[in-house]
Amino acid sequence: MSNDAEPARQTTTPKPPPAWRGWALFGLTVVATFLLGLLAASVLERRREARPPAPIRPIDEMEMDSGRWGENFPRQHDAYRRMLDDSTRTKYGGADPRDYLAETPANVILFAGYGFAQEYRQARGHVYAVEDVTQTERVGPATPSTCWTCKSPDVPRLMGRMGTAEFYASRFLDLTDEITHPIGCFDCHEPNSMTLRITRPALREAFERMGRDVDQVSHQEMRTLVCAQCHVEYYFRGPGKYLTFPWDDGLGAERMETYYEASEFADWTHAISQAPMVKMQHPDYEVYTTGVHAYRDVSCADCHMPYRTEGGVKFTDHHVQSPLLNVEGSCAVCHRWGEDEIRRRVEGIQDKVREGRDRAEAALARAHFDLAAAAQAGAADEELQGARGLVRRAQLRWDYVAAHNGMGFHSPQECMRLLGAAVDLAGQCRVECARILARHDVTTPVRYPDFGTKEKAQALVAQFAEGSPPDLLGEGAGR
Amino acid sequence: MTFRRLIGDVLALRFVGRRWRMPCFAALGVLAGLGLFLVPVSRAPSYLGDEPETCIHCHVMTTQFVTWQHSSHVEAATCNDCHVPHDNLVSKYAFKAQDGLWHATVFTMRWEPQVIRLSDRAIPVVEENCRRCHAEVIGDVSIAEHEPGDPRCWDCHREVPHGRVRSLSAASDVFRPQLGPIGSVDSEPRIRGRSVRSNRGDRP
Repeated sequence: MSNDAEPARQTTTPKPPPAWRGWALFGLTVVATFLLGLLAASVLERRREARPPAPIRPIDEMEMDSGRWGENFPRQHDAYRRMLDDSTRTKYGGADPRDYLAETPANVILFAGYGFAQEYRQARGHVYAVEDVTQTERVGPATPSTCWTCKSPDVPRLMGRMGTAEFYASRFLDLTDEITHPIGCFDCHEPNSMTLRITRPALREAFERMGRDVDQVSHQEMRTLVCAQCHVEYYFRGPGKYLTFPWDDGLGAERMETYYEASEFADWTHAISQAPMVKMQHPDYEVYTTGVHAYRDVSCADCHMPYRTEGGVKFTDHHVQSPLLNVEGSCAVCHRWGEDEIRRRVEGIQDKVREGRDRAEAALARAHFDLAAAAQAGAADEELQGARGLVRRAQLRWDYVAAHNGMGFHSPQECMRLLGAAVDLAGQCRVECARILARHDVTTPVRYPDFGTKEKAQALVAQFAEGSPPDLLGEGAGR
Repeated sequence: MTFRRLIGDVLALRFVGRRWRMPCFAALGVLAGLGLFLVPVSRAPSYLGDEPETCIHCHVMTTQFVTWQHSSHVEAATCNDCHVPHDNLVSKYAFKAQDGLWHATVFTMRWEPQVIRLSDRAIPVVEENCRRCHAEVIGDVSIAEHEPGDPRCWDCHREVPHGRVRSLSAASDVFRPQLGPIGSVDSEPRIRGRSVRSNRGDRP
């Protein structure tokens, strides 16, 4: 700074304030901002103290609309609504309505003469229950209202109005206008305490026949039993189509077989083998009870609806789905391996069960054709009765595994044991058929038709149903 | 001379137009005041210490705190005894700073997973701390012959110390110490004026 520059600056501008005044202003602002911040934080905290808890909107005793319940439970309802996503897929499951018959055409042969040979898809999420049951090809004019039982909270309401037996005995199509809400809050919860409850009579009655009171169980068991209202094997008893669980002798496949044998029950007569068959319906609960997770008292909800914490609030994730779609939230809570390792372990188990299923399906399909061939060779019904009984018993075991969800993961050992028994019984049936064929002078191999695709298999089944089956006996077979 | 002049120019904000100098001082004051305000609000001084209560400033860690509080380790070790390195002060605070900033980021962005696991960086630190305290015990047994890391201590001692069920929800509803209000400076939250550990045994 030169001396002769100073006067020039002073003449053009006034002297700027010294730097200390700037810093004094700075210091004052710091203190003021700090104190105001503390005050603001304190005010906000005290305001939160004064705010009353969010008002609970009372829920009507007969409120069917899950959206109205959701006003009080937004987190649970939001998760429930995520079931609208029907594109999720795991290796063997998910909410995607995959076509089981296209994936496994042998199933068309195994269910020949029954609705499941027409259409058999993976069910979508609970929110689609009403839509899916009204659109499936398996429902027709003769369908009883029993098929509504697990689809809607309107069902307990109608049962209360009509009477349970009268509800079951009515026609499915007559109630289409009455039943609109898909499975929701009402089906598992008391409206005001949110306690879990059983709303379907079939489970209550089955427990009574086993000498147990379904209302006197622990909360943890309830977190399984609300699912067991529907995810079980059942049948329609008598002309009134009364929904019944075949648990009187126990929950295992053999115990159910004993039950069904006692009343000579059959769901349908097989179109190819003419055997009286029993269809197993997703015995998820029964299979689960034989597995290690049930032994450890892990409930359905622990894996399929695990607890979540968001923003410090713990709640049950009501997006009911395959745990493989949420490995971290489900499995990793107890199993400390990485997500990939857990997934590989689960899918490794499922792959093995799938292989066992494939072998059982191949054996069963051939057993049905062997029985048809024996009939074509001239064997009478009495002669075939024993072999038909064997294929009935074999397929019941296979179906107990195949119809249950989870590709055997709920109880891998039990599933492999039953598939082993199914292969064995189907083999016994085929040996018996070979003897019968030999008695009728047929010693050449049976000519098994091609059922490699769903369409081929369905066309083949149609030929049997129309009474014009292909010739299964080889060239030159003595007849 | 030129350096001192540069410092003088900066301190007096001479590079700012004359009319803007005073507003600039005020704006800088607001920024610094807010920064200072964050110190008590975030209980920043507590992060330099070793109090376990510091770890539950964010509720995500409640399960970890409560499971530790009910474990045998409560008598002998705090969070930092196991979860930060103790070879020297520099590596301890470097690790704390890095972990802490990451935790703060995850919490702020709501990125927290439902099950919290040790990060790859934390695994050797925790194992070294197991060995640091239990050197005498493991000195005689064959596991001492293993290379560190194969297997890890907790591959066998699976319940130590946080239990076998690990989830943000596993123990989130249980009693946990209430933190003091942030409207006033309170960097060391306590229950009724007492440390949580000495409160063990006479819980309400």
